[in-house]
Amino acid sequence: MFKYYFMLGVRSLRRNPALTALMVLTLAVGVAASVSTLTILQVMSGNPIPHKSDRLLVPLLDNGSLKGYVPGAKPDDIQMTYRDAANLLASKQGPRRTVVYGIEGGIEPERADLPVVEVSGLAVSSDYFAMFETPFLYGGAWSEKEDGNKAGVIVLSRLQSEKMYGKANPVGKHVRLHSNDFQIVGVLDTWNPIPRYTHLLNGNGGSFNGEDGIFIPFSTAIRIEFGQSGSTTCNDHVTPGYQGFLDSECTWLQFWFESKSASDRVAIQNYLNAYAGEQRKLGRFPRNSENKLYNVTEWLDYLGVVRSDSKLSVWLSFGFLLLCLVNTVGLLLAKFSVRASEVGVRRALGASRAEIFKQFLIETAVVGLAGGLLGLPLSFLGMRIIADQSANLSVVPGMDWMMLGITFLLSVSASILAGLLPTWRACQVTPALQLKSQ
Amino acid sequence: MLRMNNLSKVYRTHMIETHALRGFEIHVKEGEFVTVTGPSGSGKTTFLNIAGLLEEFTGGDYLLDGVNVKGMDDNARSRLRNEKLGFIFQGFNLIPDLSLFDNVDVPLRYRGFNAAERKERIEDALGQVGLASRMKHYPAELSGGQQQRVAIARALAGSPKLLLADEPTGNLDTQMARSVMELLEEINARGTTILMVTHDPELAVRAQRNVHIIDGQVSDLVRKTPSLFDANAAHHAAAAAS
Repeated sequence: MFKYYFMLGVRSLRRNPALTALMVLTLAVGVAASVSTLTILQVMSGNPIPHKSDRLLVPLLDNGSLKGYVPGAKPDDIQMTYRDAANLLASKQGPRRTVVYGIEGGIEPERADLPVVEVSGLAVSSDYFAMFETPFLYGGAWSEKEDGNKAGVIVLSRLQSEKMYGKANPVGKHVRLHSNDFQIVGVLDTWNPIPRYTHLLNGNGGSFNGEDGIFIPFSTAIRIEFGQSGSTTCNDHVTPGYQGFLDSECTWLQFWFESKSASDRVAIQNYLNAYAGEQRKLGRFPRNSENKLYNVTEWLDYLGVVRSDSKLSVWLSFGFLLLCLVNTVGLLLAKFSVRASEVGVRRALGASRAEIFKQFLIETAVVGLAGGLLGLPLSFLGMRIIADQSANLSVVPGMDWMMLGITFLLSVSASILAGLLPTWRACQVTPALQLKSQ
Repeated sequence: MLRMNNLSKVYRTHMIETHALRGFEIHVKEGEFVTVTGPSGSGKTTFLNIAGLLEEFTGGDYLLDGVNVKGMDDNARSRLRNEKLGFIFQGFNLIPDLSLFDNVDVPLRYRGFNAAERKERIEDALGQVGLASRMKHYPAELSGGQQQRVAIARALAGSPKLLLADEPTGNLDTQMARSVMELLEEINARGTTILMVTHDPELAVRAQRNVHIIDGQVSDLVRKTPSLFDANAAHHAAAAAS
C-alpha cells in the first residue's frame, strides 16, 4: 500500500497547486535555513583528523609570574617558551613530537630571472608530516638526522610549488629563504584541513582560511634566527639578542605530542607534571598551576574555534524551522479539511482509521520530499550568503552527501511532524456524516 | 444475510438523549431486494449506517452474514465492511481526482488483491454497468446517471454479499433513475442481496419487500405479491440452505 499511497500523495500535490506551493516553499525555506547554518557549524566544528584526534596532544604549561595572578585563572598565553619546547622535543615522550611556529619571508628561486615570492609557512620538526598525515605529491619529509644537523631543507605546498615551478617536480632544486640556501625535499599534495588545527595561532589566514606555503625544520629556523609571524607574550625582562630571547620566559611556540594510545596520554601527563616540578625547583613556574594536555577536539574547544554566535545562529534557524512547521500545520489542516468527504468514502469502502492515517501521513511526507528538493538549492544559496558575510568562512566547502541526506531527512521528518495533527484529525472524520452531506 | 434483534441507537449530548432506533428488529434473507421507507428523521439512515458498519449501535444484536459485529474493533469492522458490503450513495461519492478505473480500484486496494486481479475485476465491473470504454475518464466528464453507474461498479467490484443503497436515484432524473433501478434489479437477479433506502413509493413497490420505519422502529413489513424477486430469494435461500 505504500506505493499506492505515495502515488496518491504525488497526485495530491496537483490537487491545489497554490496551497501545495505555499507548503513546499514554507518547508523548503525553513529546512534551507537550518541545513545551511548546520552545515557551516558542522564544517567549523568538525574533527579534522577523527581517526587519531585523541592521540594528538597539545601540552599547556603555565610559566606566568605571580604578579596579579588569581589562583585557578587560565595561563597568560597558550604557547610555550623555546626552553620548554626544546626540552619536550628532547623528552622522547610518545612516538612523535613537533614544535610549530609561523614564519613569513621572501623566497628566491634558483633562476635569477624569477621574482622573489612572499610566502608564509611553518617551522616544524620532521615528525610533523607523519603526525598530521600530510599527503606528498613529490618527495617526502626531511629526516630526523636533518633536524639534528639543522639542515637547509624545505617542503613546499602544492600551490606554492605550482606558483614557482608550474606542474614540474621541483624536488632537488634550491631556493633562498632568509638569506639561506634550502634544498626542496618534498611537495605536499593539496592539504587544507578545516579548521587549520595544527597551527590555529597563526597570523596567516585564520582558523579556516589561508594555507601554509612552506615548511622548514624548526632547528634550522632557530639556527638562522627566523623570526615568528604570530604573537609572542613576554612578561619578564628579556636579555637583548636572539639567544636572550630563546633563554627568556617569552611564549611563542606551539607543541604537539603524538601518543600511542589513551594510556600513553597518562604517561605524557605524568611526564609533564614531573617536568614542571623540576622546573619549579629551578625557580620557574611560580604559579604551580595544573599542567594541561589537550587532544585535538579538546584543543579546538579550548580555543573557542567555533564561535558561540555560530551555534546561536543554528538555534535561531531551527526556531525559524519551527515557525515554518506551525505554518505548515495550518496549511495541512486547510488541505485535509476539504478532503473529509474522501475520507468518508474510503472508510465506507473498507479503509480502517489506521489506513487513512498511513495515507495522509505518506501524503505529508511527499510534501516534505518536495520541500527537500526545493530546500537543496536554497541551502546552497543560504551557505553562499553566510560565507559571503565572513571572509573567515569563504573556504567552507559545499554540501556533502551527509548533509544532502540530512536535508531530505529534515524536510520529510518536519513535514511528518507537521502532518501528525492534520492527519489525526482526518482520521476522526465520521464517515456516515460525510457520506450523507454529499 | 442481515439480522438485527432489539437493536437500539441513542445519540447523547450532555443535555439531550435522542433515540434514533429502539427495539429495532429486521431479518433480510440472502438474495432479497428490500426497500426501506419512512418519513424524514424516522431512522432510515441510522439503520443503513449501522447496517453498513459505519456507526456503532447502543444495544441489541446485529449479525451480518452470520457474524456478530457487536464489540468489533475498527480494523475488524473495516475488513468486514470491505469484504461483505457495497455502498451506493445518493451523491455518488466518487473521488473527483481519480479516474473511473482508480475509483473502482479503491475498495480492491484495501482488500489486498494483486494488480492482475484488480484489473480484471475493475474491467468486469465497469463492463457490467456499460462503462468499460470510459475507464480512463474522470467523474466530472460523466453525467449523473453515469456517475451512479460507476459508483455501482465500485460497489460490485469486490463481489459484496450485501449492497446498501441510500436513495441511489435521488439525484437523477426519471429516465436515469429507471435505468439505475433496472441495473440494481439485474444485480439482485444475479444473487446480490440489496437493501435500499428510498423516498420514492414507485421504486419502493418494485422491491420484493418494503420495510417501513417510523420513530426508529419497524412499523410494518409490506410483502409484495410473488414476483421475480421472490423467485430469486427462494432460489438463493435454497442455495444457501444446501
